[in-house]
Amino acid sequence: MSKPIINVADREGYLHTLEWEPDTTLMETIRDNDLPILASCGGTASCATCHVYVQPKDNEQLASRSEDEDELLGETEAFRECESRLSCQIRFNPVLVGSTITLAPEE
Amino acid sequence: MNEKPIVVVGAGHAGVHVATRLVELGWSGPTVLVDAEGTVPYERPPLSKDLLTESAPSAPPPLRRESYYLDKGIQTMLGVTAMAIDPEEGAVRLSDGGALPFHRLVLATGSTARTLPIPGANLEGVQFLKTLDDSQTLRNRLTPGTRVVVVGAGYIGMEVAAAAAKLGCDTTVLEFQDRVMSRVTSPVVSEHFRKLHEEHGVRFVFGAQASRFEGADHVTAVHTSDGMEYPADLVVIGVGVVPNQKLAEDAGLECSDGIMVDNHGRTSNPLIYAAGDVTRFQCPWEGVSRRLECVQNALAQADAVARHILGAPAKEPEIPWFWTIQHGVRLQTAGIRDPDDLAVVRGEPATGKFSILYLRNGDKLAAIDTVHSLSDFAAGKRLIAAGSHIDPIHAADPNVKLTQVAASMS
Repeated sequence: MSKPIINVADREGYLHTLEWEPDTTLMETIRDNDLPILASCGGTASCATCHVYVQPKDNEQLASRSEDEDELLGETEAFRECESRLSCQIRFNPVLVGSTITLAPEE
Repeated sequence: MNEKPIVVVGAGHAGVHVATRLVELGWSGPTVLVDAEGTVPYERPPLSKDLLTESAPSAPPPLRRESYYLDKGIQTMLGVTAMAIDPEEGAVRLSDGGALPFHRLVLATGSTARTLPIPGANLEGVQFLKTLDDSQTLRNRLTPGTRVVVVGAGYIGMEVAAAAAKLGCDTTVLEFQDRVMSRVTSPVVSEHFRKLHEEHGVRFVFGAQASRFEGADHVTAVHTSDGMEYPADLVVIGVGVVPNQKLAEDAGLECSDGIMVDNHGRTSNPLIYAAGDVTRFQCPWEGVSRRLECVQNALAQADAVARHILGAPAKEPEIPWFWTIQHGVRLQTAGIRDPDDLAVVRGEPATGKFSILYLRNGDKLAAIDTVHSLSDFAAGKRLIAAGSHIDPIHAADPNVKLTQVAASMS
């Protein structure tokens, strides 16, 4: 059986197809594949350095942003109401397998 | 092609990030990561937070998945201690008997918990919290009814006290100053967290200086200089850290309570760099030298070091930031306050959601403390970096967005 994948568009517009291990978060998958996200806080929703855009049709199917996630992202310049997520808060999810997410600009 | 590796000593946030950034920036030569702890490099912040209260012992999240290092061509030497640097030879001598010649050396040796030079400090049951081992030992000892005395009400002491109280320990915090977290925050925030802890059953004694630990082989009490005695089954000392600079000192590198580095992480030896908690540097905003004990600084310095070694352009300096979580309440700070700053309270502390803005020379935003208010944290951090000026009266109204307060001044 083929492994689950996720496509990640980097900040230069290049598309990377990554294998997504089912016990990891999206942030871990992006970070461990050399894409430039810092994830300073280690996945505790304390910073916004793992900010990504999830397509609205996919984002609708994920659990909505927690208050902390919403407050952190809402104040970033690159915030998009229907797309912005902290990738550390997205656990492996079949909804996203095969879809494309985009790294938000660095703050 | 360089045959000699870039050797990184220390695999905390700083050391691992140096290795990672070297790979990302295109370094094609060998990289060796040496660390005295024999575990896969891990996140340290959870050691004093979630890890203490989890029902089953668990490992902290790894900084990178275990196979990452091999996949990226980073050689790890875990459980190996760097014993000495030979600056003439350009090599590091290791505890396994080997010597590792280096192309460049990066010291990311971190810090060690500061000890208290008082009688009984070596008794069983007197503990520090710095490593995974410390955290796991502590977790096993924080059992219901245990009398825990925490010495020092800084971040670590407060986080341990919160965990101890949650686990049903009888918890007392002894603090020499007259309020909690006095080094890092203002009285309003100190007061908020003191009350929060007291509501969870933690006792505080201020102006208390531990003078002696009592016990035959295991600690039974803490004595303070005012003649008081506090019974204890477990003592946790959280009175700050000292930089692990011995390697550097012995090699003749300039040190002064930290390895002295410039904004590229260069030490006084052109082949040797340093990053993270172990460094002291000239703060770009304030003209004073500082050691900064935070993840942000470790990552930023690591990035600067990797860039300088590879000749990539340096990045703008970042605003340092910090976080702590106690009894589920999140305090996040951006920038570094000065006790002389004007402190503006934004929002009502009694609601559990508020911020303190620290204004320098009247109206320049220098730092911000936020309690359960990450929108103010995110906005404040950006405004500090931009050198924004703030109207103190306008800023006190939590219904006006911080960015609007700043915009109205420009």
